[in-house]
Amino acid sequence: MADKFGILAKFDTPADIMHAAEKVRDAGFKRWDVITPFPIHGMDGAMGLKRSWVPRFTIVGGTAGFITGMSMIYFTNAVNYPILIGGKPLFSPYFAFPVSYELTILFSAFASILGMFILNKLPMHYHSALKTEKIAEMSDDKFFLYIESEDPQYDDAKTRSFIEGLHPVEVSDMEK
Amino acid sequence: MSAERDASLPNPTKWLLIGAVGLIISFVGMFVDPRMASFCYLIGLIFTTSITIGMLFLVMIHHIFDAYWSTVIRRQAENFLAALPWMAVLFIPLFLITYLYKQDTLWIWMDLEHELHGHGTVGTDPLYLKKTWWLSETFFWIRAAACFAAWIYFARTFRRNSFSQDADGSAEHTYSSRKHAAGGLIVVALTWSMAGFDWIMSLEYHWFSTMFGVWFFANSMRAALAVLILVAAFLVAKGPLKGIFNTKHLHDLSTLSFAFTVFWAYISFSQYFLIWNGNIPEETFWYNFREEGMWYGVSMFLIFGHFLFPFLFMLQFPLKTKYPAMVFMACWILFMQLFDLIFNILPSLKIHGQTAQLLHQPLGFLWLAASVLGGIGILLWAYWTSYYKVKIIPIRDPRIGECLNHNH
Repeated sequence: MADKFGILAKFDTPADIMHAAEKVRDAGFKRWDVITPFPIHGMDGAMGLKRSWVPRFTIVGGTAGFITGMSMIYFTNAVNYPILIGGKPLFSPYFAFPVSYELTILFSAFASILGMFILNKLPMHYHSALKTEKIAEMSDDKFFLYIESEDPQYDDAKTRSFIEGLHPVEVSDMEK
Repeated sequence: MSAERDASLPNPTKWLLIGAVGLIISFVGMFVDPRMASFCYLIGLIFTTSITIGMLFLVMIHHIFDAYWSTVIRRQAENFLAALPWMAVLFIPLFLITYLYKQDTLWIWMDLEHELHGHGTVGTDPLYLKKTWWLSETFFWIRAAACFAAWIYFARTFRRNSFSQDADGSAEHTYSSRKHAAGGLIVVALTWSMAGFDWIMSLEYHWFSTMFGVWFFANSMRAALAVLILVAAFLVAKGPLKGIFNTKHLHDLSTLSFAFTVFWAYISFSQYFLIWNGNIPEETFWYNFREEGMWYGVSMFLIFGHFLFPFLFMLQFPLKTKYPAMVFMACWILFMQLFDLIFNILPSLKIHGQTAQLLHQPLGFLWLAASVLGGIGILLWAYWTSYYKVKIIPIRDPRIGECLNHNH
């Protein structure tokens, strides 16, 4: 098979796939993933995932929102259309604060969603896991792990025997 | 079986001595410099009371949500509740000074003959006459007594339930605590707001802010969480909680502390914002007092030191899971919380025709230090005394197993 995406291994229990993931992590593979029907607690540690970068998007978005709010109110109230109300100053951070605060939250939320999409490479319309008939099991009660053929350490025979050493229930190839 | 008296842990008697020294200096101060010393005593008393009330809230919140993450640290909060009856005792000197020295030592409305700047006396002040039903001396002292009675009742109930459960392991105690938490949250929220209105807001009886009770609550929660983080870090470092209290528990406490940082800022800002926007003289004068001289610097320091710095600090995940960082932050918050109380209480000296500029009255610093030390001494004495009497964690709590396995 010329267009091989990777090797897929099936496991029966969350504990099995956790141990398998730990071994793949320790073997130093880079391009691999697990597919489970539900989130497994502690899997991020077993896969050796670092903390998400999403909070960095959030803080940038939040700061941008705050600055937008303050400068927007400064521009409209003090520059573009100044009206004196109740002897209050044309611009004061006090009355600009609630709006800036709301925009901080709004922009943080947008930036977080955007950051999550970018980091997860979403929207992803196709993934080779969708092509296998095992997709039904993936979303039901079985646990899968695959190593991509693009991985720098990948070697057809060696990786296959490595995966078989993880004691999966079943090993199969994935088409691109 | 009680916790072994470990030589590396503090001796309660030592704290009692420290507290006694602080209180004696405060009482001497009430003779030397009665008004200033009484104000400082009020600050010290409210500071320590707010820590214990915050602990009471934390215990009730734990029970009402049937929480599991806080089970390991709940016992330390319960130990602090032992200080509440002593806080009630420490309130008595305020009653005494009012009638032994001057009726208007602290709360000017208690003296109807008190001269108001420019318009007669308190007794002829329309703003006072509208409030006479609430601001009556008898009612005031009854309210204070009722507040303490309610707090002590709930504190004793939660302590008794928790300690009896250690002995018999019955789930009935958990149910009882949960029921008491449901009622207690309402009662303590109301009485604690009432205490804030009475003890602090009525210092300047012209002024009113409906947010004051919430501010008082936010502040007590921040103080209690800071103290709880310090105690947990101390007990982990010294050994008793090592391997029981993990960094995930620390992270949860820090996150709650972070949440209340934002909550405090939200409430404090809203109060200022409404008064600024409304621009009514009966309200704005309060902030005017707090922008004169040194108080301007203090108010700025509060914005950046009590909100912005803790906010940016605790926004970072790694810092919330590290003991040195959170011990620093907890000390900082505790210090700023005291600062916030000073900011809310001390400038009221101005309506007594006395300067509220602490820098012109250096003795004030001594009274302040003495009363805070006195309060903290009594608080920690009560805490350590209770600590040695009971187990380090509620060992037979239904949720303790889950809590011990609490992980990131």
